Amino acid sequence: MTIWLSIEGKKRRVDLPSGLVGGTLECSVDGSPFTADVRMLQPGVMSLLIGGRQYRCILDGDAVLIAGQRFGFEVDDPRSLQGRRRAGAGSEGPRAVKAPMPGRVVRVLVAVGDEVAEGQGVVVIEAMKMQNELKSPKAGRVVRVAVAVDDTVGSGDVLAVVE
Amino acid sequence: MAKTIRKVLIANRGEIALRVIRGCREMGIGTVAVYSDADRAALHVLHADEAYRLGPAPASESYLRGDLILEVAHRAGADAIHPGYGFLSENAEFADACAAAGVIFIGPPGSAMRVLGSKTKARQAADAAGMPRVPGSVTGLADTAEALRVAGGIGYPVMLKAAAGGGGKGMRAVTRAEDLSAAFTAASSEALRSFGSGEVYLEKLIERPRHIEIQLMADEHGHCLYLGERECSVQRRHQKVIEEAPSAVVSETLRQRMGEAAVRLALSAGYVNAGTVEFLVDAEENFYFLEMNTRLQVEHPVTELVTGLDLVHLQLRVAMGEPLPLKQQDVRLRGHAIECRIYAEDPENNFFPSPGLITMLQQPTGPGIREDCAVYAGWRVPLDYDPMLSKLVAFAETREGAIDRMVRALEEYVIGGIKTNIGLFRRILLDEDFRAARIDTGYLERLLAAPAISTDTPQAEPVSEDVVALAAALFTASTVREAAPKTEAATESRWAVAGRREGLRL
Repeated sequence: MTIWLSIEGKKRRVDLPSGLVGGTLECSVDGSPFTADVRMLQPGVMSLLIGGRQYRCILDGDAVLIAGQRFGFEVDDPRSLQGRRRAGAGSEGPRAVKAPMPGRVVRVLVAVGDEVAEGQGVVVIEAMKMQNELKSPKAGRVVRVAVAVDDTVGSGDVLAVVE
Repeated sequence: MAKTIRKVLIANRGEIALRVIRGCREMGIGTVAVYSDADRAALHVLHADEAYRLGPAPASESYLRGDLILEVAHRAGADAIHPGYGFLSENAEFADACAAAGVIFIGPPGSAMRVLGSKTKARQAADAAGMPRVPGSVTGLADTAEALRVAGGIGYPVMLKAAAGGGGKGMRAVTRAEDLSAAFTAASSEALRSFGSGEVYLEKLIERPRHIEIQLMADEHGHCLYLGERECSVQRRHQKVIEEAPSAVVSETLRQRMGEAAVRLALSAGYVNAGTVEFLVDAEENFYFLEMNTRLQVEHPVTELVTGLDLVHLQLRVAMGEPLPLKQQDVRLRGHAIECRIYAEDPENNFFPSPGLITMLQQPTGPGIREDCAVYAGWRVPLDYDPMLSKLVAFAETREGAIDRMVRALEEYVIGGIKTNIGLFRRILLDEDFRAARIDTGYLERLLAAPAISTDTPQAEPVSEDVVALAAALFTASTVREAAPKTEAATESRWAVAGRREGLRL
């Protein structure tokens, strides 16, 4: 099976033999062959032996950790490509202000219909004794305020939309 | 007078609550935990003999409710309360309330806290004890005019500080007289918001100071020991990030001078139990009194490792009325210890806090490693409290050895599911200036402002990009198979995986 990845912004093609993930596998990365001894230790933890070198690899969300270093990756497929195109839409169309972390809303600085400048504070959320002011990604009009003071929000939740 | 302590209530949470529970257990003393609704499954609760609910998650309705805590102490028959650090630990009213209720408060008496806990009063006490301090006012400033007069007298740059402050709140550096008025108003209102008192004082700004503090332990019989120093110059926004003992720049003579000055101050205020006197030290080895912390501190483990003493055991013995079991000449420092404070925050995204579910935890072990930690895989780090997850401490014969050991331990350490600052420490510990101990309280902010350089360990080969790609692909493939173990339609499952990944990202 072929897997397309973006690692730290770089496109990579990995071919793996079909069948179980484990044991000695003949793989290739961008066409160059690799023999890897693969052992899944527990979900998200794997030991790789390649040419005698041992790598303990750990999956953490959208990154792999190897030897104390973190490498972000993305699996490339049509859907995530589309998602990225949407995210990179610049100042065209409505843009959401999202919570970068879980927290509690302590202040809402705008109301629907307000004109805001790019970088203007929209909502203040607090977590772990730290307050963070979330700013408008673009100049425009607030078309939606999705939260109220004292609401608990999760990471990535939409707080407001600016059009 | 000897008192017996059979059962201790720990009025705290997190790693410090667990640290105290362990100390009690080692001495055969019973333990009572208290918890908020967010902490029912917290590690400190799981390690205690008894546990009682205080209230909802916000600290003001749980860990700061001294009245409820005293009620629990009575209900459980606890004869002493250990306050840990933060929360009620430096609250003189609470210490008095414990005494009035016939419960031993494991810490200084309320009277000593009142003298040394307020920064302006402590500065007056420091003057009385003949201790050098940073030039500036010893009382709160009445208004901008007084601030201007004092600042003019000592010369710019100056620092405005909240009398009741801590943690960097209510502080403003001012370099020019024109800026003083605005900074005074801002510092005062921030202090009022954070500490309930708008009292602000002013002192000369010492340029590039090191933060060095002396650990004290005093008994009820008029004896007080200094247990060496800790250097805590690696700070971000006035919060300590790395602490070590001993300091690379403190000589035997300087240690003795600072230690004796700290002891004089503590004895002058009738201080009992563990406490810390903080100093700023300039490039010429002048030291200036900064403030006194009237509690056991976060970074106490580095002192424990280099002195071989258990500070929690000593605290308990002192609270039972026992005299200190050793004399100043018996205190000997050996080796070097470094502590890293592991926080749930994202150094790559403005240090945003990162509470949430810990999905995986691989903790370092091996020679010279101690970890004071209160999280586990499956624990959801609540968003209501301080972001500290753990304190990782490395001990070795030399400073260099301790640094190398810490780098090794951090490589072993994995916390999955939430973001942490583990990666940041690697950068600091491999930095040439840190390794040469060229540090001051502005060091870390300067390092963070500089572009990141490669931090591959010199002896290890860098991980090849091909290996990273292979590992990522194997994980992706294994998730696909878990998601759809029965079907052979790999394309479909990949869509499912993509959908789930997208879903998680929303």
